[in-house]
Amino acid sequence: MDRTESLPPEIELAQLLQRCAARDAGAFRALYDKTSPILFARLLRMLRRRSVAEEALQEVYVRIWERAVQYEAHRGRALAWMVTIARYCAIDLMRRERMTLVGDDVLAEVADETGGEPTGFDKPNNFDHCIGLLPDNTRKCLTLAFVEGRSHDEIARLTTSPLGSVKSWIRRGLLSLRQCLSGERQTA
Amino acid sequence: MKSSNRELVDRLAAEYALGTLRGRARRHFERWLVSPQVGSMVKAWEERLAGLEPAPERVAPPATAWRGIEKRLDLRAREHTRAARWLAVAASLLFLAFVGVFTLRGGDPAPTRLAAVQETGGTIYWQIEMLGDDEAVKVLARSPHALERGKAHELWVLPAPGSKGNPVSLGLLPESGEIRRQLSAAQRAALAGATQLAVSLEPSGGSPTGLPTGPVLHVASLESA
Repeated sequence: MDRTESLPPEIELAQLLQRCAARDAGAFRALYDKTSPILFARLLRMLRRRSVAEEALQEVYVRIWERAVQYEAHRGRALAWMVTIARYCAIDLMRRERMTLVGDDVLAEVADETGGEPTGFDKPNNFDHCIGLLPDNTRKCLTLAFVEGRSHDEIARLTTSPLGSVKSWIRRGLLSLRQCLSGERQTA
Repeated sequence: MKSSNRELVDRLAAEYALGTLRGRARRHFERWLVSPQVGSMVKAWEERLAGLEPAPERVAPPATAWRGIEKRLDLRAREHTRAARWLAVAASLLFLAFVGVFTLRGGDPAPTRLAAVQETGGTIYWQIEMLGDDEAVKVLARSPHALERGKAHELWVLPAPGSKGNPVSLGLLPESGEIRRQLSAAQRAALAGATQLAVSLEPSGGSPTGLPTGPVLHVASLESA
Protein backbone atom coordinates (compact mmCIF):
# COMPACT_ATOMS: atom_id res chain seq x y z
CA MET A 1 0.00 0.00 0.00
CA ASP A 2 1.25 3.43 -0.90
CA ARG A 3 0.80 5.94 1.89
CA THR A 4 3.11 8.64 0.58
CA GLU A 5 1.12 10.11 -2.30
CA SER A 6 -0.71 13.28 -1.27
CA LEU A 7 -4.49 13.40 -1.29
CA PRO A 8 -6.36 14.88 -4.25
CA PRO A 9 -7.27 18.53 -3.43
CA GLU A 10 -10.77 18.86 -1.95
CA ILE A 11 -11.71 21.73 -4.23
CA GLU A 12 -10.95 19.63 -7.29
CA LEU A 13 -13.01 16.69 -6.00
CA ALA A 14 -15.89 19.03 -5.12
CA GLN A 15 -15.89 20.45 -8.65
CA LEU A 16 -15.81 16.97 -10.18
CA LEU A 17 -18.77 15.94 -8.00
CA GLN A 18 -20.73 18.99 -9.14
CA ARG A 19 -20.04 18.09 -12.74
CA CYS A 20 -21.18 14.52 -11.99
CA ALA A 21 -24.43 16.00 -10.67
CA ALA A 22 -24.83 17.57 -14.11
CA ARG A 23 -24.26 14.12 -15.65
CA ASP A 24 -20.78 14.77 -17.01
CA ALA A 25 -19.38 11.27 -17.66
CA GLY A 26 -15.85 12.59 -18.25
CA ALA A 27 -15.81 14.18 -14.82
CA PHE A 28 -17.04 10.90 -13.34
CA ARG A 29 -14.14 9.01 -14.91
CA ALA A 30 -11.66 11.62 -13.61
CA LEU A 31 -13.18 11.34 -10.14
CA TYR A 32 -12.89 7.55 -10.30
CA ASP A 33 -9.23 7.72 -11.33
CA LYS A 34 -8.39 10.07 -8.47
CA THR A 35 -10.34 8.37 -5.70
CA SER A 36 -10.89 4.67 -6.49
CA PRO A 37 -7.54 3.47 -5.04
CA ILE A 38 -8.40 5.22 -1.75
CA LEU A 39 -11.94 3.83 -1.61
CA PHE A 40 -10.79 0.36 -2.69
CA ALA A 41 -8.22 0.27 0.12
CA ARG A 42 -10.91 1.42 2.57
CA LEU A 43 -13.34 -1.28 1.38
CA LEU A 44 -10.66 -3.97 1.58
CA ARG A 45 -10.03 -2.97 5.16
CA MET A 46 -13.66 -3.70 6.01
CA LEU A 47 -14.49 -6.54 3.63
CA ARG A 48 -11.07 -8.28 3.41
CA ARG A 49 -11.91 -10.37 0.32
CA ARG A 50 -10.85 -8.71 -2.95
CA SER A 51 -13.79 -10.08 -4.93
CA VAL A 52 -16.30 -8.69 -2.43
CA ALA A 53 -14.44 -5.38 -2.19
CA GLU A 54 -14.50 -5.08 -5.99
CA GLU A 55 -18.23 -5.67 -6.06
CA ALA A 56 -18.63 -3.08 -3.31
CA LEU A 57 -16.48 -0.59 -5.24
CA GLN A 58 -18.80 -0.82 -8.24
CA GLU A 59 -21.84 -0.25 -6.05
CA VAL A 60 -20.09 2.70 -4.35
CA TYR A 61 -19.45 4.51 -7.65
CA VAL A 62 -22.95 3.81 -8.92
CA ARG A 63 -24.22 5.42 -5.69
CA ILE A 64 -21.79 8.37 -6.05
CA TRP A 65 -23.03 9.00 -9.61
CA GLU A 66 -26.66 8.74 -8.55
CA ARG A 67 -26.28 10.88 -5.42
CA ALA A 68 -23.80 13.47 -6.71
CA VAL A 69 -26.70 15.91 -6.84
CA GLN A 70 -27.10 15.54 -3.06
CA TYR A 71 -23.48 16.46 -2.36
CA GLU A 72 -23.42 19.88 -0.74
CA ALA A 73 -20.36 21.60 -2.15
CA HIS A 74 -20.48 24.45 0.37
CA ARG A 75 -19.85 21.95 3.17
CA GLY A 76 -16.65 20.75 1.50
CA ARG A 77 -15.63 17.30 2.72
CA ALA A 78 -15.83 15.72 -0.73
CA LEU A 79 -13.53 12.79 0.10
CA ALA A 80 -15.20 12.27 3.49
CA TRP A 81 -18.59 12.21 1.72
CA MET A 82 -17.38 9.48 -0.64
CA VAL A 83 -15.72 7.48 2.15
CA THR A 84 -19.01 7.54 4.08
CA ILE A 85 -20.82 6.11 1.05
CA ALA A 86 -18.14 3.40 0.87
CA ARG A 87 -18.44 2.53 4.58
CA TYR A 88 -22.22 2.24 4.43
CA CYS A 89 -22.01 0.18 1.28
CA ALA A 90 -19.53 -2.23 2.92
CA ILE A 91 -21.89 -2.62 5.89
CA ASP A 92 -24.76 -3.38 3.50
CA LEU A 93 -22.68 -6.03 1.77
CA MET A 94 -21.67 -7.61 5.08
CA ARG A 95 -25.35 -7.91 5.88
CA ARG A 96 -26.07 -9.59 2.57
CA GLU A 97 -23.12 -11.95 2.73
CA ARG A 98 -23.80 -12.66 6.42
CA MET A 99 -20.16 -12.07 6.80
CA THR A 100 -18.05 -13.48 9.42
CA LEU A 101 -15.30 -13.68 6.91
CA VAL A 102 -12.36 -14.04 9.15
CA GLY A 103 -11.40 -16.23 12.03
CA ASP A 104 -10.70 -14.90 15.48
CA ASP A 105 -6.94 -15.04 15.03
CA VAL A 106 -7.12 -12.64 12.09
CA LEU A 107 -9.51 -10.41 13.99
CA ALA A 108 -7.10 -10.32 16.92
CA GLU A 109 -4.36 -9.18 14.57
CA VAL A 110 -6.60 -6.42 13.25
CA ALA A 111 -7.36 -5.34 16.79
CA ASP A 112 -3.65 -4.90 17.46
CA GLU A 113 -3.21 -2.87 14.30
CA THR A 114 -5.99 -0.49 15.19
CA GLY A 115 -4.98 -0.01 18.78
CA GLY A 116 -3.14 3.19 17.83
CA GLU A 117 -4.45 6.72 17.62
CA PRO A 118 -6.84 7.46 14.79
CA THR A 119 -5.39 9.74 12.16
CA GLY A 120 -8.53 11.23 10.64
CA PHE A 121 -8.08 13.46 7.59
CA ASP A 122 -11.22 15.40 8.36
CA LYS A 123 -11.18 15.72 12.12
CA PRO A 124 -13.57 18.01 13.94
CA ASN A 125 -11.89 20.62 16.16
CA ASN A 126 -10.98 19.28 19.53
CA PHE A 127 -11.43 15.66 18.40
CA ASP A 128 -8.08 14.44 19.72
CA HIS A 129 -8.76 15.96 23.11
CA CYS A 130 -12.28 14.49 23.31
CA ILE A 131 -11.36 10.98 22.14
CA GLY A 132 -8.46 11.06 24.58
CA LEU A 133 -10.88 11.54 27.47
CA LEU A 134 -12.55 8.17 26.77
CA PRO A 135 -11.40 5.00 28.53
CA ASP A 136 -9.08 2.81 26.41
CA ASN A 137 -11.59 -0.01 25.96
CA THR A 138 -14.29 2.40 24.78
CA ARG A 139 -11.93 3.99 22.28
CA LYS A 140 -10.97 0.57 20.99
CA CYS A 141 -14.62 -0.44 20.54
CA LEU A 142 -15.42 2.73 18.60
CA THR A 143 -12.39 2.29 16.35
CA LEU A 144 -13.17 -1.36 15.61
CA ALA A 145 -16.74 -0.44 14.70
CA PHE A 146 -15.91 2.61 12.60
CA VAL A 147 -12.69 1.54 10.89
CA GLU A 148 -13.22 -2.20 10.47
CA GLY A 149 -17.00 -2.25 10.35
CA ARG A 150 -17.19 -4.75 13.23
CA SER A 151 -20.54 -5.54 14.84
CA HIS A 152 -21.24 -5.51 18.59
CA ASP A 153 -20.81 -9.32 18.66
CA GLU A 154 -17.51 -9.30 16.84
CA ILE A 155 -16.16 -6.56 19.08
CA ALA A 156 -17.19 -8.51 22.16
CA ARG A 157 -15.34 -11.55 20.86
CA LEU A 158 -12.29 -9.56 19.85
CA THR A 159 -11.91 -7.75 23.10
CA THR A 160 -13.05 -10.78 25.14
CA SER A 161 -15.62 -8.61 26.86
CA PRO A 162 -19.28 -9.33 27.64
CA LEU A 163 -21.63 -8.16 24.86
CA GLY A 164 -23.61 -6.03 27.30
CA SER A 165 -20.50 -4.16 28.36
CA VAL A 166 -19.47 -3.51 24.75
CA LYS A 167 -22.91 -2.08 23.97
CA SER A 168 -22.91 0.21 26.97
CA TRP A 169 -19.29 1.36 26.45
CA ILE A 170 -20.18 2.31 22.89
CA ARG A 171 -23.39 4.07 23.92
CA ARG A 172 -21.70 6.05 26.67
CA GLY A 173 -18.63 6.72 24.54
CA LEU A 174 -20.76 8.26 21.78
CA LEU A 175 -22.63 10.41 24.27
CA SER A 176 -19.42 11.67 25.91
CA LEU A 177 -17.91 12.38 22.52
CA ARG A 178 -20.94 14.43 21.48
CA GLN A 179 -20.94 16.37 24.74
CA CYS A 180 -17.23 17.06 24.63
CA LEU A 181 -17.18 18.09 20.94
CA SER A 182 -20.11 20.47 21.40
CA GLY A 183 -18.70 21.86 24.64
CA GLU A 184 -21.72 20.53 26.62
CA ARG A 185 -21.10 19.80 30.28
CA GLN A 186 -19.98 16.22 30.93
CA THR A 187 -22.64 14.23 32.71
CA ALA A 188 -20.89 10.88 32.82
CA MET B 1 -39.88 15.95 18.07
CA LYS B 2 -40.21 15.55 21.85
CA SER B 3 -36.88 15.78 23.63
CA SER B 4 -37.02 12.15 24.85
CA ASN B 5 -37.69 11.01 21.26
CA ARG B 6 -34.98 13.30 20.02
CA GLU B 7 -32.46 11.63 22.38
CA LEU B 8 -33.52 8.17 21.18
CA VAL B 9 -33.34 9.11 17.50
CA ASP B 10 -29.97 10.74 18.06
CA ARG B 11 -28.70 7.55 19.69
CA LEU B 12 -29.86 5.54 16.68
CA ALA B 13 -28.32 8.13 14.34
CA ALA B 14 -25.02 7.75 16.21
CA GLU B 15 -24.99 3.96 15.95
CA TYR B 16 -26.09 4.18 12.31
CA ALA B 17 -23.14 6.45 11.51
CA LEU B 18 -20.75 4.34 13.58
CA GLY B 19 -21.95 1.21 11.78
CA THR B 20 -23.11 -0.80 14.79
CA LEU B 21 -26.80 -0.43 13.95
CA ARG B 22 -27.27 -3.59 11.90
CA GLY B 23 -29.76 -5.84 10.21
CA ARG B 24 -33.44 -5.01 10.37
CA ALA B 25 -32.88 -2.06 12.72
CA ARG B 26 -30.55 -0.47 10.17
CA ARG B 27 -33.03 -0.98 7.33
CA HIS B 28 -35.86 0.51 9.41
CA PHE B 29 -33.77 3.49 10.36
CA GLU B 30 -32.85 4.13 6.71
CA ARG B 31 -36.54 4.76 5.99
CA TRP B 32 -36.47 7.65 8.47
CA LEU B 33 -33.64 9.32 6.61
CA VAL B 34 -36.09 11.10 4.29
CA SER B 35 -36.92 13.31 7.27
CA PRO B 36 -34.59 16.34 7.13
CA GLN B 37 -34.41 16.36 10.94
CA VAL B 38 -33.19 12.76 11.13
CA GLY B 39 -30.96 13.35 8.10
CA SER B 40 -29.23 16.25 9.79
CA MET B 41 -28.68 14.24 13.00
CA VAL B 42 -26.95 11.52 10.96
CA LYS B 43 -24.89 14.12 9.11
CA ALA B 44 -23.79 15.65 12.42
CA TRP B 45 -22.65 12.22 13.63
CA GLU B 46 -20.83 11.54 10.37
CA GLU B 47 -18.92 14.76 10.89
CA ARG B 48 -18.12 13.99 14.55
CA LEU B 49 -16.96 10.44 13.85
CA ALA B 50 -14.85 11.45 10.83
CA GLY B 51 -12.10 11.96 13.39
CA LEU B 52 -11.84 8.16 13.67
CA GLU B 53 -11.11 7.83 9.96
CA PRO B 54 -7.65 6.32 9.47
CA ALA B 55 -5.11 7.98 7.17
CA PRO B 56 -6.09 7.05 3.59
CA GLU B 57 -4.22 4.21 1.92
CA ARG B 58 -4.20 3.31 -1.75
CA VAL B 59 -4.74 -0.02 -3.46
CA ALA B 60 -5.31 0.05 -7.23
CA PRO B 61 -8.61 -1.68 -8.04
CA PRO B 62 -8.67 -4.18 -10.94
CA ALA B 63 -9.64 -2.76 -14.36
CA THR B 64 -12.75 -4.95 -14.36
CA ALA B 65 -14.22 -2.72 -11.63
CA TRP B 66 -14.51 0.33 -13.91
CA ARG B 67 -15.90 -1.76 -16.76
CA GLY B 68 -18.58 -3.07 -14.42
CA ILE B 69 -19.53 0.45 -13.33
CA GLU B 70 -19.68 1.66 -16.93
CA LYS B 71 -21.89 -1.23 -17.88
CA ARG B 72 -24.27 -0.69 -14.98
CA LEU B 73 -24.64 3.02 -15.60
CA ASP B 74 -25.02 2.59 -19.35
CA LEU B 75 -27.82 0.14 -18.69
CA ARG B 76 -29.57 2.74 -16.59
CA ALA B 77 -29.03 5.40 -19.25
CA ARG B 78 -30.54 3.12 -21.88
CA GLU B 79 -33.58 2.43 -19.74
CA HIS B 80 -34.00 6.11 -19.22
CA THR B 81 -33.71 6.91 -22.90
CA ARG B 82 -36.26 4.26 -23.72
CA ALA B 83 -38.76 5.74 -21.26
CA ALA B 84 -38.08 9.26 -22.54
CA ARG B 85 -38.53 8.15 -26.14
CA TRP B 86 -41.80 6.48 -25.26
CA LEU B 87 -42.97 9.65 -23.54
CA ALA B 88 -41.88 11.72 -26.51
CA VAL B 89 -43.86 9.48 -28.88
CA ALA B 90 -46.89 9.61 -26.60
CA ALA B 91 -46.58 13.38 -26.32
CA SER B 92 -46.32 13.91 -30.05
CA LEU B 93 -49.32 11.65 -30.66
CA LEU B 94 -51.25 13.68 -28.11
CA PHE B 95 -50.08 16.80 -29.82
CA LEU B 96 -51.25 15.54 -33.22
CA ALA B 97 -54.60 14.49 -31.78
CA PHE B 98 -55.26 17.77 -30.02
CA VAL B 99 -53.45 20.26 -32.18
CA GLY B 100 -56.74 21.29 -33.82
CA VAL B 101 -58.41 21.81 -30.47
CA PHE B 102 -55.46 23.83 -29.17
CA THR B 103 -55.46 25.97 -32.30
CA LEU B 104 -59.18 26.60 -32.07
CA ARG B 105 -59.02 27.44 -28.37
CA GLY B 106 -55.78 29.36 -28.78
CA GLY B 107 -54.77 27.29 -25.73
CA ASP B 108 -51.49 25.83 -24.54
CA PRO B 109 -48.50 25.92 -26.83
CA ALA B 110 -47.04 22.52 -27.65
CA PRO B 111 -44.63 20.90 -25.21
CA THR B 112 -41.05 21.46 -26.28
CA ARG B 113 -39.31 19.48 -23.55
CA LEU B 114 -40.38 16.59 -21.35
CA ALA B 115 -39.17 14.99 -18.19
CA ALA B 116 -40.39 11.93 -16.33
CA VAL B 117 -39.79 11.80 -12.58
CA GLN B 118 -39.51 8.11 -11.88
CA GLU B 119 -37.80 5.27 -10.08
CA THR B 120 -34.92 4.03 -12.19
CA GLY B 121 -36.67 2.15 -14.97
CA GLY B 122 -39.85 1.93 -12.89
CA THR B 123 -42.93 3.83 -11.74
CA ILE B 124 -43.37 7.29 -13.25
CA TYR B 125 -44.55 9.65 -10.49
CA TRP B 126 -44.80 12.91 -12.40
CA GLN B 127 -44.74 13.74 -16.06
CA ILE B 128 -43.45 17.25 -16.68
CA GLU B 129 -43.81 19.27 -19.86
CA MET B 130 -42.21 22.59 -20.66
CA LEU B 131 -44.58 24.45 -22.92
CA GLY B 132 -43.65 26.71 -25.83
CA ASP B 133 -40.51 28.70 -25.17
CA ASP B 134 -40.50 27.64 -21.49
CA GLU B 135 -43.40 30.06 -20.91
CA ALA B 136 -45.27 27.53 -18.78
CA VAL B 137 -44.82 24.20 -17.09
CA LYS B 138 -47.44 21.49 -17.03
CA VAL B 139 -47.25 18.74 -14.43
CA LEU B 140 -49.27 15.56 -14.44
CA ALA B 141 -49.23 13.42 -11.28
CA ARG B 142 -49.27 9.87 -12.66
CA SER B 143 -48.86 7.69 -9.58
CA PRO B 144 -49.00 8.77 -5.94
CA HIS B 145 -45.65 9.27 -4.25
CA ALA B 146 -45.30 8.52 -0.51
CA LEU B 147 -45.47 11.73 1.53
CA GLU B 148 -45.57 12.29 5.29
CA ARG B 149 -47.95 14.82 6.82
CA GLY B 150 -46.73 18.38 6.84
CA LYS B 151 -44.42 17.76 3.87
CA ALA B 152 -44.52 18.62 0.19
CA HIS B 153 -42.61 17.76 -2.97
CA GLU B 154 -40.91 20.70 -4.66
CA LEU B 155 -39.65 20.83 -8.24
CA TRP B 156 -36.29 22.43 -9.08
CA VAL B 157 -34.29 23.29 -12.17
CA LEU B 158 -30.68 22.24 -11.66
CA PRO B 159 -28.01 24.65 -12.94
CA ALA B 160 -26.94 24.05 -16.54
CA PRO B 161 -23.86 21.82 -16.89
CA GLY B 162 -20.71 23.84 -16.32
CA SER B 163 -22.54 26.80 -14.77
CA LYS B 164 -22.17 27.69 -11.12
CA GLY B 165 -25.69 28.85 -10.17
CA ASN B 166 -28.12 27.43 -7.62
CA PRO B 167 -31.20 25.31 -8.26
CA VAL B 168 -34.28 27.43 -8.99
CA SER B 169 -37.72 26.40 -7.73
CA LEU B 170 -40.52 25.66 -10.18
CA GLY B 171 -42.99 25.39 -7.31
CA LEU B 172 -44.67 22.55 -5.42
CA LEU B 173 -45.73 19.41 -7.22
CA PRO B 174 -49.37 18.27 -7.20
CA GLU B 175 -49.93 14.94 -5.43
CA SER B 176 -52.73 14.14 -7.87
CA GLY B 177 -54.26 15.57 -11.03
CA GLU B 178 -52.65 18.11 -13.30
CA ILE B 179 -51.47 21.69 -12.96
CA ARG B 180 -50.27 24.32 -15.40
CA ARG B 181 -48.14 27.16 -14.14
CA GLN B 182 -46.92 30.26 -15.98
CA LEU B 183 -43.16 30.74 -15.49
CA SER B 184 -41.39 33.93 -14.44
CA ALA B 185 -38.47 35.46 -16.31
CA ALA B 186 -36.09 34.16 -13.60
CA GLN B 187 -37.43 30.61 -13.96
CA ARG B 188 -37.15 30.83 -17.77
CA ALA B 189 -33.57 32.04 -17.45
CA ALA B 190 -32.74 29.10 -15.18
CA LEU B 191 -34.29 26.70 -17.69
CA ALA B 192 -32.25 28.00 -20.61
CA GLY B 193 -29.47 25.47 -21.10
CA ALA B 194 -30.61 23.37 -18.12
CA THR B 195 -30.79 19.64 -18.70
CA GLN B 196 -32.08 18.36 -15.39
CA LEU B 197 -34.92 18.79 -12.94
CA ALA B 198 -34.91 17.58 -9.35
CA VAL B 199 -37.56 16.87 -6.73
CA SER B 200 -36.86 17.52 -3.07
CA LEU B 201 -38.81 16.88 0.13
CA GLU B 202 -39.78 20.17 1.84
CA PRO B 203 -42.07 21.54 4.55
CA SER B 204 -45.68 21.78 3.35
CA GLY B 205 -45.40 25.42 2.23
CA GLY B 206 -42.27 24.73 0.19
CA SER B 207 -38.62 25.44 0.96
CA PRO B 208 -38.36 28.34 3.43
CA THR B 209 -34.94 29.37 2.07
CA GLY B 210 -35.48 29.37 -1.68
CA LEU B 211 -33.02 26.48 -2.00
CA PRO B 212 -33.69 22.77 -1.48
CA THR B 213 -33.54 22.06 2.26
CA GLY B 214 -34.74 18.45 2.37
CA PRO B 215 -33.25 15.41 0.66
CA VAL B 216 -33.30 15.31 -3.15
CA LEU B 217 -35.53 12.36 -3.95
CA HIS B 218 -35.30 12.28 -7.72
CA VAL B 219 -33.41 13.78 -10.63
CA ALA B 220 -34.94 13.71 -14.11
CA SER B 221 -33.45 14.67 -17.48
CA LEU B 222 -35.21 17.14 -19.74
CA GLU B 223 -35.59 15.61 -23.19
CA SER B 224 -36.67 17.34 -26.38
CA ALA B 225 -40.25 16.51 -27.31
